[in-house]
Amino acid sequence: MDGSTKPAGKPIWPKVPAEFVRAMLAGHSALGLAFAALIYLVCFSGSIAVFTQEYTRWEQPAGPVLQAATPQAADRVFREALAHNPKARDVFVQLPEPVRPRLTAHLDDATGAERTFVADASGAIVGEMKTPWTEFQAELHTVLHLPRAWGGFIVGLTGVALLSSLISGVLSHPRVFKDAFAFRWGGSKRLQEADLHNRISVWGLPFHLVVSLTGAFLGLTVIIVGVLALATFKGDTTKAYALFTGPKVADDARPAPIIDLTQVLATLRAAHPEARTTYLFVEHPGERGQHASVSALTPGRLSRGEIYVIDGEAKLRGAVGYETGNLGQKVLSAMTPLHFGWFGGWPVKIAYLLLGLGLTSVTSSGVAIWLARRRDKGRPAPRWERVWIAFVWSQPFAYALSALAALILPVAPVMVWLLATLAASATAILWAPAALSLRLRAATAGLLALTVPVHVALNGGRLADPVAWIIDAGLLLTAVLLAASLWKPRQAA
Amino acid sequence: MSGLLALDAWIGLGLALLTLGGAVLLRRAWAGASPRRPWLILGGWGLLVLALVLSVFLLGVARGPAVVLALGSTLALALVASGVEFRNARKKAARELALEPSERRRIAWRGWLRGILAGPLAGIAALGCGLAVAICAPGAVQSRMVIGGLMVPFLWAGGMAWTLSDDKILRATAVLTGVAVVTLGAAFLKGAL
Repeated sequence: MDGSTKPAGKPIWPKVPAEFVRAMLAGHSALGLAFAALIYLVCFSGSIAVFTQEYTRWEQPAGPVLQAATPQAADRVFREALAHNPKARDVFVQLPEPVRPRLTAHLDDATGAERTFVADASGAIVGEMKTPWTEFQAELHTVLHLPRAWGGFIVGLTGVALLSSLISGVLSHPRVFKDAFAFRWGGSKRLQEADLHNRISVWGLPFHLVVSLTGAFLGLTVIIVGVLALATFKGDTTKAYALFTGPKVADDARPAPIIDLTQVLATLRAAHPEARTTYLFVEHPGERGQHASVSALTPGRLSRGEIYVIDGEAKLRGAVGYETGNLGQKVLSAMTPLHFGWFGGWPVKIAYLLLGLGLTSVTSSGVAIWLARRRDKGRPAPRWERVWIAFVWSQPFAYALSALAALILPVAPVMVWLLATLAASATAILWAPAALSLRLRAATAGLLALTVPVHVALNGGRLADPVAWIIDAGLLLTAVLLAASLWKPRQAA
Repeated sequence: MSGLLALDAWIGLGLALLTLGGAVLLRRAWAGASPRRPWLILGGWGLLVLALVLSVFLLGVARGPAVVLALGSTLALALVASGVEFRNARKKAARELALEPSERRRIAWRGWLRGILAGPLAGIAALGCGLAVAICAPGAVQSRMVIGGLMVPFLWAGGMAWTLSDDKILRATAVLTGVAVVTLGAAFLKGAL
């Protein structure tokens, strides 16, 4: 972190040796620069991913929008979906929740074929769910669209680098209390960026620590469990994962009547009347070893929900322990909601979006400070200034273009995003930093403004889900804010 | 899980306003010396602590503080932004007080060695610590695994920050190698959960 111009008074905190701060700044700078692009990409995509559930509703706005589903409806959509693919290896039945008011069944089989069906209140299938952009943006954040092991590792390592930057950043900021509320704009570019960088970093610190630590943990799980399995289970990772999957139902491929989800839910209700079921995951339907893992959430808990294992005869085998087990199980269950901000309703989601974008801008300003420092010292790096600003604004542009394309073109959003990122970054050859920023922001605002009428036109008359309207309004507001930001430099000039 | 919590959402916002109140008092204390300053500092921190304590009772042991920290941070940042002070671009700052990063001699092999220390070696040492906790510590096996697993990114990040900052590369090499050998040795020697 950089300093500021406020004259130094008597320190209210033990004075940190200047050499220590300078060494920390060197490490902070080196690490930030080495990982800048990756941290920026992961932070930006993560800020957007906070609203993953809402994008699903935006892409499938016609509904049916349901407040609840009866056990009979859950059983019916399960059976109807299974009839579409009797070879399904497992079926994921998602019940309506306030945050995702749909009744759906997702199937996959040994060939890797996957489909998701949407049902009405009676459980009758009324259509197939298609949410390519939602899936694109979620996968970009979690695995960068790379093979799971590699993508997860790179994202996890980025989380470690971010966490490390936070540690060195805090240690290299001895005026943390003295400058706590100082926020100065204008004048020296470097000092302006430093104030922005330091204030967001310090006040958002609890959020930054939580998301980087949980993100690194979630991303590095494969490595951590792999090494653990190597040390204790002769490399058999399934034994390590089995510690977190609850009671086992032995595989038995002999045919059996298909599991009755009505009975499964009745069993759970009898044992845990307070449990609010969110989904059922049925493995090996139609076999003797079939069983359902039923997720039930207790209001007020920071958790993904307890998982109850119920076998083909509707007998409760036990629980995994995410809400009722030991400390480790509870902590593990809290990781995902804590990372994505899915634990406190809409205010927390909005806070996570803003704090996430704040962390994204901290990354951006960190590089800007380094570039400004070089310029101040008479060693400017004009090419890097162009490349960085082009990359920074390439992401809002590429996201907006991919969302628009996903609505009207039968192409994979990831391809659109990749080409848009490359094209926007390539504009660094053509324009100066100020023009790059201005034009990419203008293009993004235009694309977002265009996305809204296209979305409304395509779903005209079928926009049953109010969240679809809210997302459209959010896109429009973002377009307006971006457009408004274009006027500032001209006024200042 | 969440939109439901219409009531919880409003409780969270109410608690966040308490943290905003705390931040406002602290800013007033920060703005200048006055006889009220100690009371403003006490009141500011008091409101922050009160918001956290109330959140535990109203929203849950883990969820409450998480909600307050997320919403409180956002409102505090808004407060900081509201106090933005515009500099005169023509008026040069009196003097530059910001510390500069230490200048190191640019030697390729030191750069590579530093990278290896911060990346693979710090990672292996951190994995060793996590593994040692998962295998050797007391308590339920899942707890040991999760706590050990959470230690890995944190220690790796700490090791990374240290090795990239410390000018004495040999010291960092020796410590990280030692930690890796001891912890991985202990884990593989015990070898069972």
